[in-house]
Amino acid sequence: MSVTSEVGEKLEALPEAAAIALRMKAEHYFDAIRAILDVFANKKSLDSIYVTSTIPSTSIINALDVLEIKLDHIWFVDCISQIMMSPAQKHGHSIYVESPTMLDNLMLKVEYLIRKTSDRKNLVIIDSINSLAIHNNTKILSEFLHILVNNLRAKEAYTIIFSMVEYETEDIRNMLNLVSDELVEVEGKA
Amino acid sequence: MAPREREQDEPPERDRCITGIDGLDNILNGGIPRGNTVLVTGSVGTGKTSLCLEFLVHGSMAGENSLYISATEATAKLLSNIIPYDFFDRKLVRDGRLVFIDLPVIYDKLGLEKLEFEFEEVNILITALANIVDELDIRRLCIDSITSVCYRLKTQENIRDFILKLGSMLSSRGCTSLLVSEISPAEERYSLYGVEEAIADGVIVTGNLERRGDLLRTLQVVKMRGTMHSRAKYVLDLTSVGVLLVPLLKGGSVAAPGG
Repeated sequence: MSVTSEVGEKLEALPEAAAIALRMKAEHYFDAIRAILDVFANKKSLDSIYVTSTIPSTSIINALDVLEIKLDHIWFVDCISQIMMSPAQKHGHSIYVESPTMLDNLMLKVEYLIRKTSDRKNLVIIDSINSLAIHNNTKILSEFLHILVNNLRAKEAYTIIFSMVEYETEDIRNMLNLVSDELVEVEGKA
Repeated sequence: MAPREREQDEPPERDRCITGIDGLDNILNGGIPRGNTVLVTGSVGTGKTSLCLEFLVHGSMAGENSLYISATEATAKLLSNIIPYDFFDRKLVRDGRLVFIDLPVIYDKLGLEKLEFEFEEVNILITALANIVDELDIRRLCIDSITSVCYRLKTQENIRDFILKLGSMLSSRGCTSLLVSEISPAEERYSLYGVEEAIADGVIVTGNLERRGDLLRTLQVVKMRGTMHSRAKYVLDLTSVGVLLVPLLKGGSVAAPGG
């Protein structure tokens, strides 16, 4: 089974508005994104809010373009482009947070997009807890995830938190256990 | 205590003026108690005017005639700089449900040319404002800013007298009002003269908070008579869907107070 099918099936088996920690190897990153945005979100008719602190949103948008995934119902909160001082063009589907340390503003941008896209239910993807952990201490990151996940749950939105197993620490594992309803492992078996 | 006795002991719940700003209504446990005079205080660029405008826009949309009195900025300029709210309809202005008046125009009409107001001028100004509120059936009012009026009052006694009379006049008409107060970032009190916050029914403080080099806009309700409310600090964002608020993350990492 492909990684895309595996992730798609595992997500579909989960309850509505679940908070999911998606643990994967870095090599499965783009397959997992495809499974979430193209398969899962489409099937459930969800508006996706993709929070990226790992790579700039333009890189993900380019990858989605190659994968022929339409952006109509996908929006980005990009908290890495500004800090990189990259002169990259701003994309109409991206809004920007100055730095991944501005977790409060990140919550505000998610809230803004939820209000702007109020027709459908939402799926919020946090990519990734590992990169957020580079810029934030465990205390504030746990507090952020706890508030965000509970807020999204109240709005009947799905939350998927990416975690790259290669970069996981014990603190990160504890955090994921604390805030998520389900831990989904991407096995990627042939 | 039996439930019936407890009901008799508790003061009746006051009617609320729902601000329409979800986060603020949650903080205030349902909105500002109707008729309260609330000081909105903070340094420049912290969102005071946006907060007030949204309060008035939501009021006018809900059928409550709303009045914005601008003391420092001409209405035309203010409207050109207003955030393009998704929910704002210029018809509200055309229909007279949302009214903008420049305070210098009121001064001119009243012949208040002196730079320093005495007791008599204060009374003339209050009477004029009362007439406007009555004529236009105003239910929500904002004066932006009260600091510029206080500049002309000079003494703490005159300021106290003005705000007491203004609050009493508006409250007796069921008009809920926001008075904007400008303070410098380093100020340790909530108003320039230290009088306004003591007399107002409520104090909402906006500010800037620097945390590890990031500058956050914050909001805190310090006082609000007539309701239980949160006194925690929140982070705010000014957006096209209105003012958004989330709790300020503490995380043990707040390095420098600033707002």
